Amino acid sequence: MTYFMFLLLMALVVGLVAVASNPTPYFAALGLVVAAGVGCGVLVGHGGSFLSLVLFLIYLGGMLVVFAYSAALAAEPYPEAWGSRSVLGYVLVYLLGVGLVAGFFWGGWYEGSWVVVDGLKEFSVLRGDVSGVAVMYSSGGGMLVICAWVLLLTLLVVLELTRGLSRGALRAV
Amino acid sequence: MNPYVLMILLSSLGLGTTLTFASSHWLLAWMGLEINTLAITPLMAQHHHPRAVEATTKYFLTQATAAAMILFASTTNAWMTGEWSITDLSDPLANTMFMTALALKIGLAPMHFWMPEVLQGLDLLTGLILSTWQKLAPFALIIQTAQNIDPLLLTLLGVTSTLVGGWGGLNQTQLRKILAYSSIAHMGWMIIVIQYAPQLTLLALGTYIIMTSAAFLTLKMSLTTKVSTLATTWSKSPILTATTALVLLSLGGLPPLTGFMPKWLILQELTKQDLPIIATTMALAALISLYFYLRLCYAMTLTISPNTTNSTTPWRTQTTQASMPLALFTMATLGLLPMTPAILTLTT
Repeated sequence: MTYFMFLLLMALVVGLVAVASNPTPYFAALGLVVAAGVGCGVLVGHGGSFLSLVLFLIYLGGMLVVFAYSAALAAEPYPEAWGSRSVLGYVLVYLLGVGLVAGFFWGGWYEGSWVVVDGLKEFSVLRGDVSGVAVMYSSGGGMLVICAWVLLLTLLVVLELTRGLSRGALRAV
Repeated sequence: MNPYVLMILLSSLGLGTTLTFASSHWLLAWMGLEINTLAITPLMAQHHHPRAVEATTKYFLTQATAAAMILFASTTNAWMTGEWSITDLSDPLANTMFMTALALKIGLAPMHFWMPEVLQGLDLLTGLILSTWQKLAPFALIIQTAQNIDPLLLTLLGVTSTLVGGWGGLNQTQLRKILAYSSIAHMGWMIIVIQYAPQLTLLALGTYIIMTSAAFLTLKMSLTTKVSTLATTWSKSPILTATTALVLLSLGGLPPLTGFMPKWLILQELTKQDLPIIATTMALAALISLYFYLRLCYAMTLTISPNTTNSTTPWRTQTTQASMPLALFTMATLGLLPMTPAILTLTT
């Protein structure tokens, strides 16, 4: 399991480097998908399987839209992947930076920090994340209402910013 | 903009600040800040031209970055100490990260670069909301956590902000940029004293809000955004011409006006804390700010601009804008200094 976690964390860093090294938008979106999926995998490893499932589904839904949008808006005839020079420079700099920071903290890490948390999960009736959902619907009801309001507000804000043919925020710039 | 949408946006603007005020938990405070940012975004872009959209984008990106850093700092704190309460932000890493994020949020130097650019792209009323109401929620968080934060960081932020606020405004001809730099300088005054006397921070914030509201409403009334048009507004409204100079001098902190009160008390507190060099630096930085306020006064009131008047002086008919708020804020800006003991008592 430790090796699996090691693999997932490495893939997370590589995915984020793929986003940050500004290649062509749809490669960056692909990097974002990789980072999101692997991040959900790390969450599963730490005992939040239900939570990570919900996160993964919702995130993939959002990413689908972003992917379609970036592919439609910024389709380039000569896409820049990791091979082209400008992107490769960023990739190397970011990987080097991550390596340096990791080396700085290397002494404080040991194998135990990667071991999964949910130890005796065969014996417990309630999983932490599932009971968390129950708490969110019972004693966290007020917060849930506020969250719903924020979602509605976000919808209205996005509609207001992008509505109309000539009034869309992206078209004026 | 549709009035229903406007109602929802304005009430959410209120809700965000209220949530941050009322919360003792980091997540709720963060949600309040995010609601604030989201709700003002369409208001900023409502006059739909490229400058406004650019300003909105810049504002959204900086505020989202700051909010994400606040969330990261609070999760780090919860991870290290197991504590989600706002006043128990005790982990040093989380503390420093939080203070840097909030400095980005309220535009303290050296994280101030978005502030003049954003304010320049907005109309005056949205700019007024941005430089008054949007500062309240972050300040509520800063005041609750300031006692744990590294004093060196706070002092550096404060001194740099007052210096940069003065320097940045020096050669500007655009009034909104000048007001943005004035905001940066005032934020510096509030931050420098926060660990010694938090009530003075509240007092400085309150007086700053009054003074800057008066300044923005004056510009709105005379429809000016540049020094050159400010210089020719004397024919529109003579009384406004007289009070504008005094409002600007009050922002600069000259003695018989309200703006002197926070600077006076903060300098006194710094001297009492045995920090004479910082106090001197702050006073000298206030002088730099005073220079550009004086320049505005000179252009508007103390001289007549050598323009050829192409028409006769217009009739001064009754204005259609609401002038009551301007009158109230101007009165408070000019005459609150004798109330200093009462205000000090109210803020402690």
